[in-house]
Amino acid sequence: MANWAILSGIEGNLAAYEAVLADIRRQRQPVTDLYIVGDLVGLRGDNEALVRRVRSPQPGEPIPQVCTGWWEEQCFSLHGLRGLPDAPELVDRDRLGTVKDLWEAVSRQTVLWLADLDFGFHELDCLLIHGSTVSYSDELTPETSPLTLCDRLIRADANTLFCGRSGLAFECWVEPSALQSTVTTLDQTAAPQEQGKSPRRVVGVGNVGRQAGQASYVLYNPGTNKVTFKQVQGSLAKGFGASKGLSHR
Amino acid sequence: MKLAVISCIHGNYEALNAVLSDIDTHRADQIYCLGDLAGYGPHPNAVVELVRSLDIPTCQGCWDEDIVEGLNACECSYPSQLAEKRGHLAHEWTNRAIHPEVRKYLATLPMTLRQDNLCFVHGSPNSQHEYLLPSMDGFAALERVLSAEADVLFCGHTHVPYLRELDNGTLSVKVQQPGQGETQHQFTAPLKRIVNAGSVGEPRHGRPNATYVLYDTDSAQVTLREVPYDYAKTCAAIIEQGLPPIFAWRLARGMEFAERADDPGHVCER
Amino acid sequence: MPHFIAISGPSGSGKTTWISQFLKDQSTPQFYVCPGLGEISMDLARIGYRFPWVQVVAEAQLRAVLADLPDQATVYFEWGFHLDLGSPFLAGLGCERVAVLPPDLTESDWHTWADRVVAGNAVAAPANGHLPEVWCTPLTGQVFDPPSLEVLLLEVTGGAYGQVCRLKGIFELPNGRAFYVDFVEGLPGMEYTELNLPPWLAGRPSRFSGIEVTGWGLEQQAIAQTLLDSGLSDAALSQYHQHF
Ligand SMILES: [Zn+2]
Ligand SMILES: [Zn+2]
Repeated sequence: MANWAILSGIEGNLAAYEAVLADIRRQRQPVTDLYIVGDLVGLRGDNEALVRRVRSPQPGEPIPQVCTGWWEEQCFSLHGLRGLPDAPELVDRDRLGTVKDLWEAVSRQTVLWLADLDFGFHELDCLLIHGSTVSYSDELTPETSPLTLCDRLIRADANTLFCGRSGLAFECWVEPSALQSTVTTLDQTAAPQEQGKSPRRVVGVGNVGRQAGQASYVLYNPGTNKVTFKQVQGSLAKGFGASKGLSHR
Repeated sequence: MKLAVISCIHGNYEALNAVLSDIDTHRADQIYCLGDLAGYGPHPNAVVELVRSLDIPTCQGCWDEDIVEGLNACECSYPSQLAEKRGHLAHEWTNRAIHPEVRKYLATLPMTLRQDNLCFVHGSPNSQHEYLLPSMDGFAALERVLSAEADVLFCGHTHVPYLRELDNGTLSVKVQQPGQGETQHQFTAPLKRIVNAGSVGEPRHGRPNATYVLYDTDSAQVTLREVPYDYAKTCAAIIEQGLPPIFAWRLARGMEFAERADDPGHVCER
Repeated sequence: MPHFIAISGPSGSGKTTWISQFLKDQSTPQFYVCPGLGEISMDLARIGYRFPWVQVVAEAQLRAVLADLPDQATVYFEWGFHLDLGSPFLAGLGCERVAVLPPDLTESDWHTWADRVVAGNAVAAPANGHLPEVWCTPLTGQVFDPPSLEVLLLEVTGGAYGQVCRLKGIFELPNGRAFYVDFVEGLPGMEYTELNLPPWLAGRPSRFSGIEVTGWGLEQQAIAQTLLDSGLSDAALSQYHQHF
């Protein structure tokens, strides 16, 4: 039976990634697919070591499927590969110092490897992506307007949208229950149409590496359609972290 | 107050003149223009001069943007590869024909215009290149009107006029976060409307006639107008100016382009 | 003795359709010949795709095939409107002659020529002495952007590049499927038939596809350019193939 682990925001934190992998190994129902939805690299960690680890899974580990995120896009911009040159988003956010830091934190060779990754994955009736199909920087949270969440689900053409930009772990069911639409053209006025439809959801997959010792990710069982939040406390250095599963339908 | 909203003139001077006289006979107090003054048609400079001389508030269309900034559209903004190739031919021609001061003027055009609870854009509030088709999902359409913070959103770009009323929009949301209880809330939207002004100079509704809309701010009445004009004159000018003859053939029929099937895997990179 | 049948009639009258009803029969060897258009014949290709058991004969092989026919063979000659009815070749074979004609046509060269007249589609008979021209080109290897192909077909049959009375084509689409498209002026709509072939999902198809346009004042160069502009690039094609 399929069981997906979906994570985001490792940001070069190898210890946190190892802790998550250890937690994945401990699952009673084996994890069959591992998705990393962006922000593999970041400012602080050892990005080179992390990318090496991600690219060479150990025997028995699922092969990570990785798509790009906000930090990857900053690298592309900085290296002139795509988007606007000179990473203006990064400059706006964190001043010039960080631009230099990022330049040093990720080698060009690694950036070129990252540039070949997908923007996201369509699997079954799910879209897995860093922000949304609108943009890698689109930040969806439980506070985002319901209509915006609904719009992102429609654009995603998916029943479940897994995203990582906010770093938050959440499951948000959106039910567009009623809407009457009437279209008039030059030739006719069509009868009003009821556009309500069944609920769909946006899932925030948490963040692995931003806060030391506070990794979170989600498990998804496509068979039961159930999302389980995972929090991994402590780091590999301390041995085994306690893993606490929180789940609901 | 009576408003006339025009869009997508596309260098068709004959059509613009006919529409302006029709607006005159309906005694509109104010005209708004939703952009695409240039592109496809043979008289981009004359059209811009006329719009400027009448002081018509105008937002920037996809063609105006591309003339200023160079081709900037993602392939997904064309309905077909063929339409895209022809678009490029028209762009090259227009780029050569346009006067420097006209280009400068197009660069100054704003993305959106507002009047009270009305918002005017070319494509959508997100982008000059986004099509708000009447078949678009109702909630996505509602999102566009709300993101424009308006009750009525005027747009063009599709070249086919329509009025869409979105009423009684209701969404409920159920949120679960680790370590917290489940929360629920409901969201409702009052009546919102999308008014597409069609196209003055390159209509695609199946007839050659120019289209635009009238809007009465007191009664909220929307009237879609269809105005015949001497399109044969524009067709002759298209051929005379060395634009692709197929443009004239399509113009004379008000022909719509086939829609590209949606590709859910496509993420617009614009 | 092999049996020879020659079928003639104006463009779009339904010659191929009439022949097709007999080609379904697999009990005796059947041969199909459509002379005059060289190697690029839509009819030849389509018959070959639809009835794999029928031997379609290209002009170059015709002599050799005729010299060595099995006794129970039936050979169908689709005799295009642009070919001479008084051809000594036909006379020499001792053919049965069938004309497929529009029902309201009562008098014509076909009537005097035929042993048998069959009522076909109600197409307009060509104006006296003003035969249309035929333009055809192979498209093998080209895969079309579907919405562009739709635009192209609407324009060509709508008269954007000269008056067209007939269009036949075999087109490849990026989902790996091939379609036969048939337009006859005066008949409503266009006929799209998916050919029963294995989907071609890697690289460019090497099986035959092509287009044949019949009409007056055809702007051949403009049609060719539009066909070219509607074809997918290698990059676009491989992107499609990744999706399917
Ligand atoms: Zn336009
Ligand atoms: Zn436009």
